[in-house]
Amino acid sequence: MWTEKYRPRTLHEIVNQKEIIERLERFVKEKSMPNCLFAGPPGTGKTTAALCLAMDLFGKNYHKNYLELNASDERGIDVVRTTVKDFARTISMAEAPFKILVLDEADNMTPDAQQALRRTMEMYTNTCRFILACNYFSKIIEPIQSRCAFFRFAPLKPEDVKARVRHICGAENVEITPSGLEALIYVGGGDLRRVVNMLQSAAAVGEKIDEKGIYRIAGRVSPKELREMLEKALDGDFNAARNDTVKLMVEYGLSGLDIVKQVHRELLGLELDERAKLQLIEVVGEAEYRLLEGGSDEVQMNAVLAKIAMIGRSSKERGH
Amino acid sequence: MSLPWAERFKPKTLQEIAGNYAAAEQLLNWIKARIEGRGAVKRAALLSGPPGTGKTLSVGIVARALDLELIEMNASDFRTEELVNKMAGGATLQASLFGRSGKLVFFDELDGISGREDRGGLGAILGILKETRYPVVLAVNDPWDPRFRPLRDICEMIQFRRIRRPSVEVQLKRIARLANVTVDDALIKRVAERAGGDLRAAINDLQMLAEGQRILRDGDVGLLAGRVQEKGIFDVMRDVFSAEGCLEAKLALEGSSVDSEMVLQWINENIPNQYTDPEERAEAYDWFSKADIFMGRVKRRQMWDLMGYAMELATGGAALARRGPYRFTRYNFPRRIGMLSQSKELRGRKREVLKAIGREAHASVKKVATEYLPYMEIMAEKGKLPKGILSWAEDNKET
Repeated sequence: MWTEKYRPRTLHEIVNQKEIIERLERFVKEKSMPNCLFAGPPGTGKTTAALCLAMDLFGKNYHKNYLELNASDERGIDVVRTTVKDFARTISMAEAPFKILVLDEADNMTPDAQQALRRTMEMYTNTCRFILACNYFSKIIEPIQSRCAFFRFAPLKPEDVKARVRHICGAENVEITPSGLEALIYVGGGDLRRVVNMLQSAAAVGEKIDEKGIYRIAGRVSPKELREMLEKALDGDFNAARNDTVKLMVEYGLSGLDIVKQVHRELLGLELDERAKLQLIEVVGEAEYRLLEGGSDEVQMNAVLAKIAMIGRSSKERGH
Repeated sequence: MSLPWAERFKPKTLQEIAGNYAAAEQLLNWIKARIEGRGAVKRAALLSGPPGTGKTLSVGIVARALDLELIEMNASDFRTEELVNKMAGGATLQASLFGRSGKLVFFDELDGISGREDRGGLGAILGILKETRYPVVLAVNDPWDPRFRPLRDICEMIQFRRIRRPSVEVQLKRIARLANVTVDDALIKRVAERAGGDLRAAINDLQMLAEGQRILRDGDVGLLAGRVQEKGIFDVMRDVFSAEGCLEAKLALEGSSVDSEMVLQWINENIPNQYTDPEERAEAYDWFSKADIFMGRVKRRQMWDLMGYAMELATGGAALARRGPYRFTRYNFPRRIGMLSQSKELRGRKREVLKAIGREAHASVKKVATEYLPYMEIMAEKGKLPKGILSWAEDNKET
């Protein structure tokens, strides 16, 4: 994947987040750093910054002293009590002054697990530094926030994204039209990961990447099962749609909230009359609200699918 | 007066059993097969059905018919692991003392087994099922109680149904004749009606009314207090979905010992069975999702007082979503758990692949699914998926 191929390998290569990078480079020079909290929207370089920091600090064999845990996969309290502790308490290898443990998507950790992390972070200051990366720092409990230096990652500026896209296009020998580039920046927002992934799939589809190609790909932002789920629901096949939901939850580990948000992203690209789209936006927004209010995944998904099926039918009736 | 009528006039043979003759016969045949050790016979039999439908009675009759020594434990006995093993376990290994042709081990009233007082009892019973050479029969009211799940798989399931009113009436008349009481037909009808398929209750009621009298007339029935009947979950579903108003829908839960959360799971599962019309279905689910929010608050913040709102929204919504008359519906067991275990293997494999990609891409499974997979699908369609993950794409297509 191009996202990996073109991921910076040293802090110096990171094009954006100037101030943050300067501070991190100082950590490298002094071989000393505090525990850190990286907060910011997706695709703004949080994980990359942590990775580059480790590579700059530890050199080629960085992985001996560096561990990345994905809190949304391994977020339970037992992980903190075992994996995290085991890594943190053993002394670093080679020249490194300490080890680095990255807890990615830390805002997905349960509050209990965060509580368990509190003491762990303090207990092993001699051997280990923690970097917590998250989208929403408000989901990190205060005691943890207070133990970390706080870095806020901003969405990438259009110029920075453009520069990166041009660089990749040059290296991959891919041609992108000016309007294609604008479209890519527009739909990708400040999320460089998404931009690069879209760029790569657009490059797979056609020789020359133009506006149309980008929008065609932008209309497909979800895994196949999710689009199928949506189609089945709109077709009125509630039971089949429900089975797909369960699949998305168990196979992909998506929560109800993830699915609802993903459906939201798909909505505007659907081939459906405009009134139905409006109704869908309302229904999906309401579902997201109810989930945040404490509704359970399964029930709320059933409710939203049932409503989508109803909207699908009345839209069809209007069409004929 | 010595014995209760229900005991005194108990049938002695299989043929006399009212209503559930077929179930009793199934039991007889199973025990015969089990003793003869025929091929695919289950280890034990699980009798289920409401009270007063002949479960215990059938076991007694069948044991006598086959000349088996009956070893019984019921809810009046403590049933800890130790005691179960001592009593039934010993018996199941020794030969019969009384020279009978064999033994029949019977655990009655298993619903009454307590988690605390009878610690390990259910486990011990399971153990006995697996070891013993004698047939074991178990009786419960609600076979769908989650505690009995391990039993359901290894038992021959024998279902006893509520006894239909005409059969109850015939039995009441027979008993009145034997007890030498003259009873008005209309009163027999009333008693039978009130009993709701529970023959023992009907006989007890009749005896109570007849106490000290020779002749019973219709008006005498006023002495009877109405019986609250234990409703099964299927009845609850029917009453909820067929209710005409909020109060009726809520009252549908009365008289059932099924707990509230279980009822909610059943409603969630059965809305699409009851309602295939998109509007009805969407409305029922909309109310249900609001109930669900209240349940969330109940659980998260321990606000038990809010439970009432949740139940009213869920049941009332399920009833009022209906546009026309109630339609008979076959209700299902909540499916989710079963579905998860069915797809377990598949899930494991797919997840492993996503995880492997995640490790390369420094991303969680979730992120791979939403941020990488869609684009990888496009590349795969064009045959331009980067080499390392091509093998995965093929796996994915198969599934």
